[in-house]
Amino acid sequence: MAAVHGDAHGHGHDDHHPTGIMRWITTTNHKDIGSMYLWFSLAMFFVGGTLAMGIRAELYQPGIQILEPELFNQFTTLHGLIMVFGAIMPAFVGFANWQIPMMIGAPDMAFARMNNWSFWLLPVAASLLVVSFFVPGGAAAGGWTFYPPLSTQGGLGVDMMIFAVHILGASSIMGSINIITTILNMRAPGMTLMKMPLFVWTWLITAYLLVLVMPVLAGVVTMLLTDRHFGTSFFNAAGGGDPVLFQHIFWFFGHPEVYIMILPSFGIVSEVIPTFSRKPLFGYSSMVYATASIAILSCVVWAHHMFTAGMPVVGQLFFMYATMLIAVPTGVKVFNWTATMWRGSMTFETPMLFAIGFIFLFVIGGFSGVICAIVPIDIQVQDTYYVIAHFHYVLVSGSLFALFAGAYYWLPKWTGNMYNETLGKWHFWLSMFFFNLTFFVQHFLGLAGMPRRIPDYALQFADFNKISSLGAFGFGLTQVLFVYIVINCIRSGEKSPEKPWDGATTLEWTHLPTPAPYHSFETPPVVK
Amino acid sequence: MILDKKDKKSDATLLQITKAVLSAFMGIRRKSDHESDAAMLKPAQVIIGGLIGGALFVISVWLLVKLIVS
Repeated sequence: MAAVHGDAHGHGHDDHHPTGIMRWITTTNHKDIGSMYLWFSLAMFFVGGTLAMGIRAELYQPGIQILEPELFNQFTTLHGLIMVFGAIMPAFVGFANWQIPMMIGAPDMAFARMNNWSFWLLPVAASLLVVSFFVPGGAAAGGWTFYPPLSTQGGLGVDMMIFAVHILGASSIMGSINIITTILNMRAPGMTLMKMPLFVWTWLITAYLLVLVMPVLAGVVTMLLTDRHFGTSFFNAAGGGDPVLFQHIFWFFGHPEVYIMILPSFGIVSEVIPTFSRKPLFGYSSMVYATASIAILSCVVWAHHMFTAGMPVVGQLFFMYATMLIAVPTGVKVFNWTATMWRGSMTFETPMLFAIGFIFLFVIGGFSGVICAIVPIDIQVQDTYYVIAHFHYVLVSGSLFALFAGAYYWLPKWTGNMYNETLGKWHFWLSMFFFNLTFFVQHFLGLAGMPRRIPDYALQFADFNKISSLGAFGFGLTQVLFVYIVINCIRSGEKSPEKPWDGATTLEWTHLPTPAPYHSFETPPVVK
Repeated sequence: MILDKKDKKSDATLLQITKAVLSAFMGIRRKSDHESDAAMLKPAQVIIGGLIGGALFVISVWLLVKLIVS
């Protein structure tokens, strides 16, 4: 009876929600908001990607050809800011919006109206960043970390960036509060914490990290703003301040931020690997513990980003040891994914390919991270292309590949249609090839001493830069294929079976039809 | 029913909490131990244990560094 009532209720909502543009502006539905987050992040991914293409085009050969140095600096700065805050983070929030309620058996997010508001702040912030290119003095050009004194000296573009970061921070905090409340209060009967899918666990821990560090970022950009306009000297040595203070506060936010961008990827990969290995995740509780432990450790390692800024040797050793110890729980995770695949009945559909690609390349990024953590080596390689190679292995072949894995995995559930498997595999293999072509050679460039954020370079770096640029153009074009695959899936994909992945065990696959109805779990399922 | 469960959960010893937190720091836990944790430990115990564990971790790394540079 309750189910029948629930259905009738659901139809009532379906019939009455606004249509056209008003549906999207006024929606409080977690699936609509999730879709908007995902489309927004895809759009921003292409904006940030276009900037990357500009950077690589300039670096294709030595000398200044396309971008004046000042504009080049703006490109590198906005590429970083847009990719971190506009592409990767909102994409994970999109996944959270779509998946968390369905995975824990909840009808929607806890604060549905706040959910709408936290999304609609994003286009405002993104517009501020993009429009800042066209104001006098251009966009912020002090790097995505906006260190003073560069960021206290810039023009209006820096103020627009500060405002954008404030708005993005507010949006993230609201999103996190929503996710925490949803997970803690709205789980279906029987869905205890230790039965939650790992994607939900990783997001719960990520949300706590966000609530912890986003106010720190808001604080530091506010201090920057008052230094710029209200006569304070937090970061100005001439007024008794210290620019290194900025670096400490920024990286107290910035390092947990790295884990904010990677923990939900761990969650997605931990859903995909067991499904396509047709085995339960090896060491589920270890995975939860390792995630919590990584989150705690991530708050005590921030100064490894500033070994060369001047630090007592006690500080250098402390942050070096603490950083290297983070590799332990991360290694546990990699071991568990491998053990999950061990003797499983594996198949290699596109989501699984991206998940395995993630493990393979993320490990390379992790190892180069441990190398950078060693103080004497870091002093050699800091601010070189070695660091660029390292964090792109973590963020592109880590976070982005996990996002692709998740997108292919859940597209049938979201749209009711299957994507084109052949094209999906092409997308994977081309991404894999061009990604490594772009970034692996940057290790060599960095070790040879090529500095980052400089539009010109000495002749001996020419060959590797040409290879890297060709790889980048190929990688950029490959992502257009992804857009085609998604649109093709939505418009004319073959109808998906109810459960296209026979190894899937989470609630959205076992308890909901495909495509997922507009309102799901109005009557909560009982989890045994 | 709920009260019974709560009563049962307060039986955890300090040693059990310490073991659970230390294994969490490594990221490794045997399934049977994990199940007894889930039955015995209250979330507040684990969170406070984790915070104390985190502080001890920082202090011990710092002491190690002091020892090395002295």
